Amino acid sequence: MALADADLVARVLVDDDHHAFAELVRNHQSSVRGLLRNLVRSDVTLADDLAQETFLKAYKNLRSFRGEARFSTWLYRIAYNCFREEARKRKELVGIDEAQLEAEHDPQTVDPALRHDLARALELLPVHERSAIVLCCQNGLSHDEASRVLDIPLGTVKTNVLRGREKLKKMLSAWGSN
Amino acid sequence: MDEKLQEDSLDARLRDEAPYIDDAGFTARVVQKLPARQVRRSYRAFLFLAITLAACFAAYWFAGGTSLAIDAYTNMAMMPVTWMWVCAAGAALLVMAGGLAAALSRSRGRSR
Repeated sequence: MALADADLVARVLVDDDHHAFAELVRNHQSSVRGLLRNLVRSDVTLADDLAQETFLKAYKNLRSFRGEARFSTWLYRIAYNCFREEARKRKELVGIDEAQLEAEHDPQTVDPALRHDLARALELLPVHERSAIVLCCQNGLSHDEASRVLDIPLGTVKTNVLRGREKLKKMLSAWGSN
Repeated sequence: MDEKLQEDSLDARLRDEAPYIDDAGFTARVVQKLPARQVRRSYRAFLFLAITLAACFAAYWFAGGTSLAIDAYTNMAMMPVTWMWVCAAGAALLVMAGGLAAALSRSRGRSR
């Protein structure tokens, strides 16, 4: 029988059980790496480096996990902070070329050879809208949980999700892929 | 209505197109980078006990060995019964306090 996150966390805290921590990593690696891949725009190596850093930080700071939120929400917050630290060093992770975004909306300028799909559309969103969409629509967090992960007001999360959705719909309809 | 359907289909696509990422050695790499395990408590307790016993033995040896034991036995035999009871109660209280402290620290660790 699979142990719940809370039991695994307790085992790590009480017995410094590396096997229990490995189980936690196995349970959450896909969603954390997926979130980071979306945030860093599919740079798989960088995303995995940040995911590794996320889990190591989680291990070191496990005592500060109070169990008030879900363990996954707590991990996403650490992952997002790791991404923010990295984004401070690399401007290209946050910046978005507005001209490119406009061109993507225009069916006349779309390169038909490119495979335009949802993942590509997500990459083109500004980081604050992308992160809100990924957390709420892909990872299934509530707006309230996302606001805690992203450390922004609830209203801002709702606005970012709404705006991001609108842009995605526009892009996908321009590419004729919805 | 169309708008709502479009929104639902977008949400469904977002959910469905989030792929499961295969572990492919990721967990092993993370575990490998974890700091070395702390010395286990039981091992530390054993070490503490061994040092205490060694110190007691050294004290006994340097204080005259057998004659010290005989003197202690004689003194205890001459001790009033009331004092014996007080000493026994004190020792019992000490052991209880130690056990209680250990149980409390363990339950605090689990609840975190």
